[in-house]
Amino acid sequence: MSADAPAARVKLFFREAIARALREEMTRDERIILLGQDVGDFGGSYKEFVGLKAAFGRTRVRDMPVAEAAMVGLGVGAAAAGLRPLVSITYMDFLMLGLDPLVNYAAKARFKTGGQLTVPLVVKTTAGAKGQGVAHSQCVEAWLMSVPGLTVVAPSTAADAYGLLKSALRAPGPVLFVDHKRLFPTAGEVPADEVLVPFGQAAVRRAGEHVTIASHGYMVRVALEAADRLAGQGVSCEVIDLRSLAPLDLDTVAASAGRTGALLTLEEGQLTCGVGAEVAFRVRERYDTVKLARVGALPAPVSSNPVLEAACLPDAARVVAAVRRLLKS
Amino acid sequence: MDQALLLRDMMLIRAFEAALVARPDHGFQLLSSGEEAVAVGLCAALNADDQLLSSGRAIGPALARGLDPGAVMAELLGRVAGPNRGKGGRGHLAQPSAGFFGAHAVVGGNLTIAAGVALAFQTQHRPGVVACVFGDGACGAGALHETLNIAALWTLPLLLVCDNNGLSVATPSAEALAPARLSDLAAPFGVPGITVDGMDVLAVRAAATGLVERARAGRGPAFLECRAERFSSHSTATRETRDAATMARARARCPIERLSGQLIEAGAIDAAGLAALRAEVDAEVARAIAFAEAAPFPDPAEALSDVG
Amino acid sequence: MFYALTVPGGVEEVEEVRVLEWHGQVGRVFAPGELVVELETHKALVEVRAGQAGVLRRILCAEGDWQAVGQPVALLSDSPEDPLPETADGLAALAVEFEVS
Repeated sequence: MSADAPAARVKLFFREAIARALREEMTRDERIILLGQDVGDFGGSYKEFVGLKAAFGRTRVRDMPVAEAAMVGLGVGAAAAGLRPLVSITYMDFLMLGLDPLVNYAAKARFKTGGQLTVPLVVKTTAGAKGQGVAHSQCVEAWLMSVPGLTVVAPSTAADAYGLLKSALRAPGPVLFVDHKRLFPTAGEVPADEVLVPFGQAAVRRAGEHVTIASHGYMVRVALEAADRLAGQGVSCEVIDLRSLAPLDLDTVAASAGRTGALLTLEEGQLTCGVGAEVAFRVRERYDTVKLARVGALPAPVSSNPVLEAACLPDAARVVAAVRRLLKS
Repeated sequence: MDQALLLRDMMLIRAFEAALVARPDHGFQLLSSGEEAVAVGLCAALNADDQLLSSGRAIGPALARGLDPGAVMAELLGRVAGPNRGKGGRGHLAQPSAGFFGAHAVVGGNLTIAAGVALAFQTQHRPGVVACVFGDGACGAGALHETLNIAALWTLPLLLVCDNNGLSVATPSAEALAPARLSDLAAPFGVPGITVDGMDVLAVRAAATGLVERARAGRGPAFLECRAERFSSHSTATRETRDAATMARARARCPIERLSGQLIEAGAIDAAGLAALRAEVDAEVARAIAFAEAAPFPDPAEALSDVG
Repeated sequence: MFYALTVPGGVEEVEEVRVLEWHGQVGRVFAPGELVVELETHKALVEVRAGQAGVLRRILCAEGDWQAVGQPVALLSDSPEDPLPETADGLAALAVEFEVS
């Protein structure tokens, strides 16, 4: 195939990209099983698992009780013993119930056994605020990106949900795959052929000269919206989609920030010890003249109240204002 | 298994631990002394297809499962020659290739893991059974109930073995747990629960054998409570909380003394035979120590190996 | 007179849909209440039923095609003889009932 021929693409809903990745990988590797709440006949809370139980049967697609510690623990043990489970934790808020097996066992198993055990487990969870209240809204991927032994990825597009999930299902160790409630209403072009997106590789979503905006997940879309508005004001933004939080592609972000001279990090999670804090500091270690700023949620729980939720979360207007402040500083 | 072998295995654990704690470099240890019959009786019911998981009180289970004492000592002393390359220590001692899936130092932390291993066995139609030893201290944790629930629901080949020594560090079980009989915890899930004298290795073996075979036949999980006594404090870093009289009563139930007495009475062994066993065990422990002492520590660079 | 069958709005969060299945070919007469087309959203199926009688004259979006809310997916007319317009622009919207499931 010639290097110039454009790759064929198909437009899919975000949920379909996930289902497609799982279907392909489950066909390819019979060790992959799916554990989660309402993943079987119901097809998942976002219909992201529709058709999988019919295709692969009830041994490989199993509904679990509401018991996240057991869900993750079972996945961990099964992975250590030779399967390749994907555990679906519907709300990232409830991943906290499964942090003991994920962090204390899965992320440490290979190290603590001197390499005798590996845990090829994928935990897929949905983060983000969308009117469901303080315990159904959180983005805490920053907490997990510092766990040695744990890979953390966060797609912002259907194509990357597909490609990153495929990579996750082939990875040798535990992977936390974080998508977002607000990504499910979106659709996107996905390669028609099998494509894997590697870990540790950010994507430049929009080229620009005056400022670098580094973000991940749903906030990448907010960054792009802000970039559109700023373009109308004569400010050219380079928008980088991190895609992978651990391992983090510092080279791409740093190279961009080195050119533009200004870096704004954008996340829906908290600023304290957030993804942006890590990215900004690492960039500063490379280039001590880059101007830095971070945008994130207000330091408060995110209410289901639409007025309060909107007040808490970053939006395009806030990003535009932050970029303008950064460039003036 | 020949009863003399059961005796020998228990004696090995006792002698091994005595030699370990006599060393200035013994490190942070949880000893199985007094509770040998639980590990040895259970392991007598397992075969090479099975996997054993344990809590942080791992020395008894590891040796009972047949791990080389030299390798175990090396791991405890932080040497590369240990099965975990010195990186796990006692709390995470493991040798899955030898049927010891491993210890995990989080109380109750191995329970859902064990269920996951059992799920893998079931999904892949493997003949093995998974046994997980945990203390009474784990019985108040949600993990146990979540594990019982899913194991029952999915008929997992899982044997939960509660080594109930009546104490969670310094807290007596009556002050931590509502049920008096811990095997009753399995009842609401429809899982058979049996309580045996954990100081009687033959009773433990008999009960474990029946429940392992039941699980192997696809009839699902079970809960085996073994009432035992620990002869040391909770750990080498914890002071003893029991008074002398209580300790004397505990030691009077010694599983090694008990089986020795039974074998002597049955004429299966005599005093000379016992002495020979002890000498054999002491020699094995001496070899283990020599092996471990000669083994190198890991290179500091190994702090970054096998991380992810 | 010609009408444009447009993608219904008012379904929460839906900005675009994919055509799942046409329930008739060009030339078919739809009576009020009959199912004309099924559209897929990110989480539901939208059944679009005729709110008025009409003849299906041109399908603008085939099965598998995507279309934005408010944009036309087909042209219908009162009479099968009405000559086809050049574009869908300016056409009245066909009255429809839709059900989300």
